Amino acid sequence: MHVWDALSSESKIDFSAGENGRKNTSAIAYMTENPNLTRALLARLESLEPISSFENAKVTSIDLGPPQDSPGTLNLSSYPHVTTSSSTSPLVARLLIGADGINSPVRTFAHIPTRGWDYDRHGVVATVRLASRGGSHSQIEEAPKVQDNVTAYQRFLPSGPIALLALPGDYASLVWSTTPEQAARLKGLDPADFAAMVNAAFRLSVVDVDYMSKMPSGQVDELAWRLQATDVPREDETKYPRIIESVQEGSVASFPLRMRQADQYVGERVALVGDAAHTIHPLAGQGLNMGLADVASLVRAIEYSVSHGGDIGVQGNLEAYESEMWMKNNRMLGVVDKLHKLYGVSWWPVVGLRSLGLGTVDKFNGLKGWMMSQAGG
Amino acid sequence: MALRHTSLRNFCLLLRSQPHSRSTSTSTPRSSVSPIELSHFSALASSWWEPHGSSRLLHLMNPLRHEFIASCLTSHPTASKHNTKSLRYLDVGCGGGIFTESAARLPSTAKVVGIEPSREVINVARAHACQDSMLLEPGRLEYKHACIEDLALPQKVEEQFDVLSLFEVLEHIEKPAPFLAKCLPFVKPGGWLVLSTIARTWTSWVTTKLVAEDLLRIVPRGTHDWGQYVNERELRGWFGKQDGWGRDGCLRTMGVVYVPGLGWRMVERGESWGNYFFGVRKD
Repeated sequence: MHVWDALSSESKIDFSAGENGRKNTSAIAYMTENPNLTRALLARLESLEPISSFENAKVTSIDLGPPQDSPGTLNLSSYPHVTTSSSTSPLVARLLIGADGINSPVRTFAHIPTRGWDYDRHGVVATVRLASRGGSHSQIEEAPKVQDNVTAYQRFLPSGPIALLALPGDYASLVWSTTPEQAARLKGLDPADFAAMVNAAFRLSVVDVDYMSKMPSGQVDELAWRLQATDVPREDETKYPRIIESVQEGSVASFPLRMRQADQYVGERVALVGDAAHTIHPLAGQGLNMGLADVASLVRAIEYSVSHGGDIGVQGNLEAYESEMWMKNNRMLGVVDKLHKLYGVSWWPVVGLRSLGLGTVDKFNGLKGWMMSQAGG
Repeated sequence: MALRHTSLRNFCLLLRSQPHSRSTSTSTPRSSVSPIELSHFSALASSWWEPHGSSRLLHLMNPLRHEFIASCLTSHPTASKHNTKSLRYLDVGCGGGIFTESAARLPSTAKVVGIEPSREVINVARAHACQDSMLLEPGRLEYKHACIEDLALPQKVEEQFDVLSLFEVLEHIEKPAPFLAKCLPFVKPGGWLVLSTIARTWTSWVTTKLVAEDLLRIVPRGTHDWGQYVNERELRGWFGKQDGWGRDGCLRTMGVVYVPGLGWRMVERGESWGNYFFGVRKD
């Protein structure tokens, strides 16, 4: 992984597998596209009979059950009753898990407040296809293919970081955090100009990138012309991602960037996981990892409860999940928030200090190893 | 630390079997529970299941009771794995049903009977069980407003129990020896009598008598009878004299300590500090 600062050409940090002290690690982290995860999860669900899933269904309401006063009869007044568009009678939940995103209806039902702020930035995402290195196919045939597209690149522009994360084959996943206006302009570009804009954002100076991003069209020619005048060191070609050849149709999307943390992750018969519990700036790529760690922790709490005769919906039995994850996630939210703010500054003393800091960290493999073990999850 | 212990003692008290006052109820069962004035506990019955109520610490302790019981059941060389619905529990002084319910939910459990001398408290237990359809399955969980001497003596092995539990009961019994003797016939051969109580030591005197009752007055004066606390050594001695109990080293004890910030921890040889578990097997 190669990370550098657009305002200070000397300032960079490299992460390589093997630096983190784990001998058998061949990678810092893996990238996978959402459909792969979803497919694997659905396949797993199907192997676990009997599980009912409701396809193409929307939750229309969540309420507590009706009060029940007659003694000796089942009293579900503390159970969430979930009404969906596809069922006539409500689903009664011993434990309702809200994995329903930043605007979680489950969280609203449980009256759990969240705190945080909006970044006034949007994340532009796309799946892109990479051209071969140096434009010559013969070079690629010499090098083992598998080694060719395994590096992640991230450049901190003043408006936000742009990152390219390797996918299988010649594909990569783009995440570009930028102002809402620029995000809208990017989404309006035709695919070739969009690709040129991304190439420019990794290679050209901040001034050039700003200028090009404000052009209504013609980024392809503009990039070709400006690259001639830009000194991209040939011998250091691997310090930049490969040229983006094309953008996968329909893959360009954007979403507002926010920071949120729910006051509680659990309530009576309710647990929140993933973005429903916390939302993070994508610059460190931690959103999914945090969600997966939530689930693993919640599963441990449920297993403990079941094996000790507990009711898995009772808040006291879910608190182990909250106490394990809340503070951990809060730390990650804080660190990423500070990074965003640190790299949003263009004032030269701050740029100088952060370069010094990044350069220092780059020289300590032990520290980098620890950082990788934190980020790799 | 002293504060924690103090509060804990208070909570233990709340979970006591309720000694009843004869003047208030004519239908109260004959009781082996000491007839001290403790009627105010019945007023606290409704807070039994409040998640952040006064019995929170005992809710937190409950999983350790199961771990201790599991360690007892598996300790005998001939012990078999109880994976199927086979175990029968009798929970004496079950209170609001914290342990009773959890035992009834375990996959290895066939049936749980909980008995409790306070009508208010057993009604809280019955009402709370209605919140879980699993506990309402026929035959799984039964509550009785009764003392141990009200139960008919078992006539055959199938009527006896694999586990007889006395959690936080013994320290409120005036004469523990005859009370324990009445419990013994209910245990199946190969079954266990399991209890938790508090040792009669200077530490427990400081926390439960001096601090709780005299200084902080969390507990009204005279609520506790420190002299009624039972030490592990005394239990060990008493069971040593009972024929057919605790052979093959099947007499186990374990201290249990609340560590602020960490929760309950079992501590080997910690039975003389305060709270402890005790288990003994019927040969």
